[in-house]
Amino acid sequence: MSDLLSIGVSGLNVSKKALETTGHNMANANTEGYSRQKVVQTSNTPISKGGLVHGTGARIVNINRVHDEFIEKRLNASISEHEYFQERSLQLEQVENIFNEIDNEGLNKILNRFYNSFRDLANQPENETIRSVVRDNASLVTKDFRRIRNTIDAISKNVDKKLEMDVTSINSHIDHITSLNKKIAILEVVDAETGDLRDQRDLATRDLSKFFKIHSYVDSNGGYNISARGVGTLISGGENQKLAVITSSKKESSNNMAGSTEVVFENRPNTPITGNFSNGSFTSLLKVRNEDIQSLQKGMDDLAYDFVKTTNAVHRRGYVNRKIAMDENGIPVHSDSKGPVTGINFFKDPLQRDGAASLIDLSDSIKDDVSNIVTALSPNSPGDNRIAIGISKIQHEKILDDGSTTIEEKFLSMVGEIGIKTGKASLDTEQSEGILAQTNSLRERLSGVSIDEETANMVRYQQAYDASAKVIKSADEMFKTVLGLLP
Amino acid sequence: MTRVSENSSSASLQFSLNKAKSKLENLQLKGASLKRITRPSDDPVSNIEALNIGAITSDNKQFLRNCSFSLLQLNATEKSVEQLTEIMNKAKEIAIAQSSDFYDSNIRKNVANEIKQLRNQALSIANKRVGSRYIFAGHSTLTKPFTIDGEYKGDDGKMNLEISKDFFVPINLTGTEIFFGSEKDKSYKIEHPLEKIPEFDVKNKDVDKNSRGLASKEAPEVKTQELNFTERENIFTLLSGLSAGLENNDSGLIQDLLNKFDTATSRLITLRTRIGSIYNSVESSQSSIEAENIDHAERKSYLVDADIAELFTDITRQKNILETTYQSSQQMMNKSLLNFLR
Repeated sequence: MSDLLSIGVSGLNVSKKALETTGHNMANANTEGYSRQKVVQTSNTPISKGGLVHGTGARIVNINRVHDEFIEKRLNASISEHEYFQERSLQLEQVENIFNEIDNEGLNKILNRFYNSFRDLANQPENETIRSVVRDNASLVTKDFRRIRNTIDAISKNVDKKLEMDVTSINSHIDHITSLNKKIAILEVVDAETGDLRDQRDLATRDLSKFFKIHSYVDSNGGYNISARGVGTLISGGENQKLAVITSSKKESSNNMAGSTEVVFENRPNTPITGNFSNGSFTSLLKVRNEDIQSLQKGMDDLAYDFVKTTNAVHRRGYVNRKIAMDENGIPVHSDSKGPVTGINFFKDPLQRDGAASLIDLSDSIKDDVSNIVTALSPNSPGDNRIAIGISKIQHEKILDDGSTTIEEKFLSMVGEIGIKTGKASLDTEQSEGILAQTNSLRERLSGVSIDEETANMVRYQQAYDASAKVIKSADEMFKTVLGLLP
Repeated sequence: MTRVSENSSSASLQFSLNKAKSKLENLQLKGASLKRITRPSDDPVSNIEALNIGAITSDNKQFLRNCSFSLLQLNATEKSVEQLTEIMNKAKEIAIAQSSDFYDSNIRKNVANEIKQLRNQALSIANKRVGSRYIFAGHSTLTKPFTIDGEYKGDDGKMNLEISKDFFVPINLTGTEIFFGSEKDKSYKIEHPLEKIPEFDVKNKDVDKNSRGLASKEAPEVKTQELNFTERENIFTLLSGLSAGLENNDSGLIQDLLNKFDTATSRLITLRTRIGSIYNSVESSQSSIEAENIDHAERKSYLVDADIAELFTDITRQKNILETTYQSSQQMMNKSLLNFLR
């Protein structure tokens, strides 16, 4: 009889625990990263008495979380990939905006106007008004070159800031995982698996995956380790290696910009690991800055340099639009009261290709006096338009890339390239988002809480609880019956 | 059987709602701008082509300006040469009339005054200005090209204008060509504008006329006729000679001059023909640029502008999709086993 009572009690205990677990699941139905938990129960060890085997009720073996390590790893990889493309598309869209000329004026139109104003000047080379129009258009060209280059630089600087913030956030994730590792280790020494803490750790690992591709594994001692692909171990059980940023000089930077942010291991500032990461938003930022933005900076510099050099080369040949005195041999004098009469640069002559786009400007002679804008190839010829035509003809001359492309074409091909890159990035984002959603739903299907299921379980466990209570009640009645036999 | 959890169903709901909404948003943006492309990445290739067409179109605009400017200059030149031919004809008629000994010296003196007047007319034509520029002065357009003695102060500078891509025409005649008969510069060749600049190696390159515009291909070649005059036919000297002959009553000299008048007149006619042919080629390139502009505008519109009918059908369809998503999600949400366990 006491057997029946204890069997009933064991049933009550098991059902109560199962109901608790159901309640816990329902409470966490919307908790991010939560894996549903499941009571594993078994029958108690039977005893044999008098040649009969007696059951002794039920007990709880464990409370497991429903979880698949491989889905988890796939999810981490999909997150890294998606974050990579998303960040890339975000950054490139900003770059693309600089070159968006669909309904406003950009360098293409301004350059075109510059050359055409020289054609206008060729019509009336005597005209001072057209000369100032030429100067205005030329200064618009320089402004737009500087606008493009400076905006690209600003985007690069923003990336630097974002990298710094990301490193702070990465380090806090590393800290968080490490402390969870320690807690889990302490708790699991005495008891079984700690589902909730492990869920939290998985969630933190997923957050870390947003930044770069990671590899996580459990070593032979049961310690949980995370390493960044291509970089090295970041977390090993309760120990960690954090990241840090340094500001590097132009020469040592990975993107040829002064003051750019480089990534290092904390306390090891001499070995930059900037280029080693793969996938994730962090890598994406680095790659956009070091490859896409840098190549645009270089492209704009080259374009500005060649533009200035070719215009100057033609412009220097001509003579100013002023009366030029001749010496006794009929050779024009070198300079008059307003400066030299020939060999005048239209734009400031750049010293080097590097940074040419941000330093482009009209030369001082042109700024001082429009009569220094040269149209004539021979002195004292106000109607000579050969230089003006020459400069306007540079527009169609294939002078760049070993004579295969014109300045206009080169610029358009840069715009085309950034357009294609941005288009591809947003397409990749869409695709990787689909894959991520799929992997996520795979995880949710396995580990997510279903209220309907839990409701059904609740009814089931409640019934079992009621039944066990009934068992105790009948044991009680049986006791009463037996006790009633006594007088 | 696949398990469905709360999060997986709400995630799939969010995903499909997001997708339907972002598509609608994109379409709405296109509807607002009526452009098919709103940023380069929407269609990089079309974007580049559209920008390129934009560049060609504004080049063409400039070429049209150049054309009309050339026509103005050529017109003025042609008129001048025409008037000059008339003067020469008049002078020749007088010379023919006076070559016989029919008239006496008094009459000839009077006629000489008429010739002097003609010479003055010729001089004023020689110093003709369009705007502030002397059109027969070569490159020295701001200096009066002819002195009262008929001495030339200008130079042999030729002014070329680009009237369609890579197609240059000369738009001026120099004083020597018209009034003296050109000795040098017999056939006029247009050199590449960058030929004199050593930094550009253009001599070895063929200028590809068909690379971009059609205008230069269709425009006829300017025939630069050989102007091969063995003698100097200075118009001013001729007129001064005639008036001197008349004043001195020297019919022999007048007869000698007759021949020279003929050569001078025929030279002027040749020059007029040349201007006429240049004028024609400018006009024809003008009209081909205009035709080209229409084609380009059409192509650009095809590349950039949205097809309105298609766009608004798409918007309506996408709206329906979104509404359906809302409806289906309404049915899926708010449903739970709990509702039925009361």
